[in-house]
Amino acid sequence: MRGNPALWAIMGLILIFSAIVPDKFLSTSNLVAILRNFAVTSMLAVGPTFVILLGSIDLSYMGIWMFGGALVWLAYPYLGLYSIFLYPLFGLLIGLFNGVVHVKAKVPSFILTLAMTAILAFLTTYVRNISGVLTLTVPAYDFLRASPIPYIPSPFLLALPTIILSIFLMFFTKIGTYICAIGSNEEGARLAGINVERYKVLAFMISGLLVGLGSIAIFVHLGNQTRVDFDPSELIRGLAAIVLGGTPLAGGLGGPHRTLLGAMIYVLIFNGLFLLPGVDPNHLKLYIGTLLLSAVIIASKALKGALIA
Amino acid sequence: MSGERVLLEVRNVCKTFDNTVKALDGVSITVHKNEVLSVVGENGAGKSTLMKTLVGVHQPDSGELYFMGQRIPFPKNPLEALKLGISIVYQERGVIPHLKVYQFLLLGLESKFTRLGRLQLKKIFEVSRSVFEELGIKVSMDAYMYELQLSTQKMIEIARAILSIRLAVGNGHNKDITPLIILDEPTAPLSMEERDELFKYILDLKENNSFIFVSHIIPEVLKFSDRVYVLRDGKIVAHHELSSENVTEDLLFREIVGRVSYYELYSKYQYGVAEAKEKPIVLSVRQMTKKGFFQDVSFDLHEGECIGLFGPAGCGKSEVAKALFGIIHADSEKIYVGGIEIKPKSDPYERMRRGIGYFSGDTGKELFLHWPIRKNLSIVNFEKITRRQLKIVSIINFNIEKELAEKIMKRLRIRAPSVNTECHSLSGGNKQKVSVGKWLEKSPKILILEDPTIGIDVGAREDIYEALLEMKRNGISMILVSDDPKEYVILCDKVLTMREGKIQKVYSNEEFRRVMEA
Repeated sequence: MRGNPALWAIMGLILIFSAIVPDKFLSTSNLVAILRNFAVTSMLAVGPTFVILLGSIDLSYMGIWMFGGALVWLAYPYLGLYSIFLYPLFGLLIGLFNGVVHVKAKVPSFILTLAMTAILAFLTTYVRNISGVLTLTVPAYDFLRASPIPYIPSPFLLALPTIILSIFLMFFTKIGTYICAIGSNEEGARLAGINVERYKVLAFMISGLLVGLGSIAIFVHLGNQTRVDFDPSELIRGLAAIVLGGTPLAGGLGGPHRTLLGAMIYVLIFNGLFLLPGVDPNHLKLYIGTLLLSAVIIASKALKGALIA
Repeated sequence: MSGERVLLEVRNVCKTFDNTVKALDGVSITVHKNEVLSVVGENGAGKSTLMKTLVGVHQPDSGELYFMGQRIPFPKNPLEALKLGISIVYQERGVIPHLKVYQFLLLGLESKFTRLGRLQLKKIFEVSRSVFEELGIKVSMDAYMYELQLSTQKMIEIARAILSIRLAVGNGHNKDITPLIILDEPTAPLSMEERDELFKYILDLKENNSFIFVSHIIPEVLKFSDRVYVLRDGKIVAHHELSSENVTEDLLFREIVGRVSYYELYSKYQYGVAEAKEKPIVLSVRQMTKKGFFQDVSFDLHEGECIGLFGPAGCGKSEVAKALFGIIHADSEKIYVGGIEIKPKSDPYERMRRGIGYFSGDTGKELFLHWPIRKNLSIVNFEKITRRQLKIVSIINFNIEKELAEKIMKRLRIRAPSVNTECHSLSGGNKQKVSVGKWLEKSPKILILEDPTIGIDVGAREDIYEALLEMKRNGISMILVSDDPKEYVILCDKVLTMREGKIQKVYSNEEFRRVMEA
């Protein structure tokens, strides 16, 4: 890896925070918290990376995460513990829908998937409201919260299958290569005999599937429940991890491995930031927005430099 | 020659790029008032460079410029050129489809129609209407650019060039200036009817303007221009006064290409031509038609045979090649591969599955530039580098991928540090080799070649020819489309000549050589 800036950033952040607040930053409980947050952040971002590789965008992860949890809650009385599998299934279906509409009806992916998230977020709140409960909690999954390995939080373990699957798809199958090819040079991909439309739909499906699968980790992290109110900073979190990792929004470069690094950068920044004296946690959303903004600007400059060189 | 007719004169212009490539080598031309002057030559002959020195984009290393008899310095930027009355319409600068015609006409000139930051719409309408009326463009002011025919769009681009000259020269002195409009390959994307329309328009405008027409479409040049300069390797090699001389297409063509010994070329790459006829037919094309581009194209391609489609640029040959691979769709077609019909209007991936491959020398279109060589080579060869062929997911074996890439690199003599070198750092010739290399392993039944060696040096060219001939010996059939007749002599068993979208004659390699040598 010739000069991977994301790796340098991670090492730099660790060094800085260990130097300034060593006892807080390097405490066991803090390191466990970092792993937990890493799991949550990366699970939102790894899937959509495949769509961003195409040069499109998928913002439906927030909706899949929220409403998928509501589905699990609704189905639990009928399906029992199996209802957790509705998460990946639902993600896959939403991905299929997004992909087909984007490709066949030529609807811009940004609007399409944002609208999808808006609808699903509303439906989640609606389910909560008409059910007359405060949270959509399924206590039966409590056994998932206890980790078999000490110091390794269970959301992190639950995130591993998604991480492994994403890396596998990206590097060891032609799907990853084809998706990257389309984002890099769509005309070239067509000339190389790639069924561009099909692989575009497939990218959306992979995105939905990975988000659905990954949402299980977030579900457990939040105490076997899903989010019931929409928060734009959670939406930004996924995007920020992708961009910080170095997958340009124009597509063609990067991949889920980069997004994992980006998620780590994101987590380290916020973890360390709130350990510093005088940083007000109430301003979190301001920091998140600012971070995304600066990440996008820096990334675009770096990309320009790379293209000229 | 009376001095009054001469608009401008360029003497002994030289221009060198990167201290090595001599793009212009002592070029002198004169441009008369009210004429259409053509400058023709192959790709890389120096046409564009010459034009760019006239409009101030390039500065020549040496040379003199005389304007209406007076020596002046070369324009340093396009604005200075505009003030002299010189403007250029680029081949692919393109129109902006979602602007209305008057918005496009005045694009970049708005400052002349603004008062206190507000556009003076009334004045803009007036000016646009009078310009359109004066220049004879019939178009509704409310139309969007994308609604217009391509030829009309080009006309509006020309009108815009004239208007910007007028505004730059100003209403004061120099009012009697003759605008000189340079048209860089204006007809390339147009259909034949549209071309005729555009030329009718240009001839109408000749009364008040001069045109330099940069092209390599010979029939058009002969039909519509008053004089022709032929550029080859940065030098003017011929000049014709078309009103007094009888210049044939053949003559002009030979001057553009230069003298080559076709027999020598042929014998250098000699290969078996004869057996092809007894081999089975792999591809039959029947009545392929796309309105305005080609009509009733039919031919048979045998196994291991290479057929060339030959004709002047704009004859429809490159559209036929693209339509065969499904990049553009013909209106009607019957194509059989191995006797089984291909679905009409199907896309490249469907045709590739049936054994057709396509390669063009346009590496920007073909390659994934920031990918390593290895991946650019394996992109069409996944069935070769996967461990196990599962239905949806097949797992890549990186060792096989690397071996495959190394094998191709060696065979084509691709010069790069390793298979992991990213393609954007390669030279043009090596890029093209990577691009053609992926087909070496793929071995499609039929490979369509479009300008396979355009813009690369002799050494790289030979490596590519050798690779293609080897594929041919291995039974791969090919269809060649190119602007270089030498290529047909080297690669083709049979040459079909095309003209205005129709196949004219069939030549064997030997007959083709004889015609070219004559």
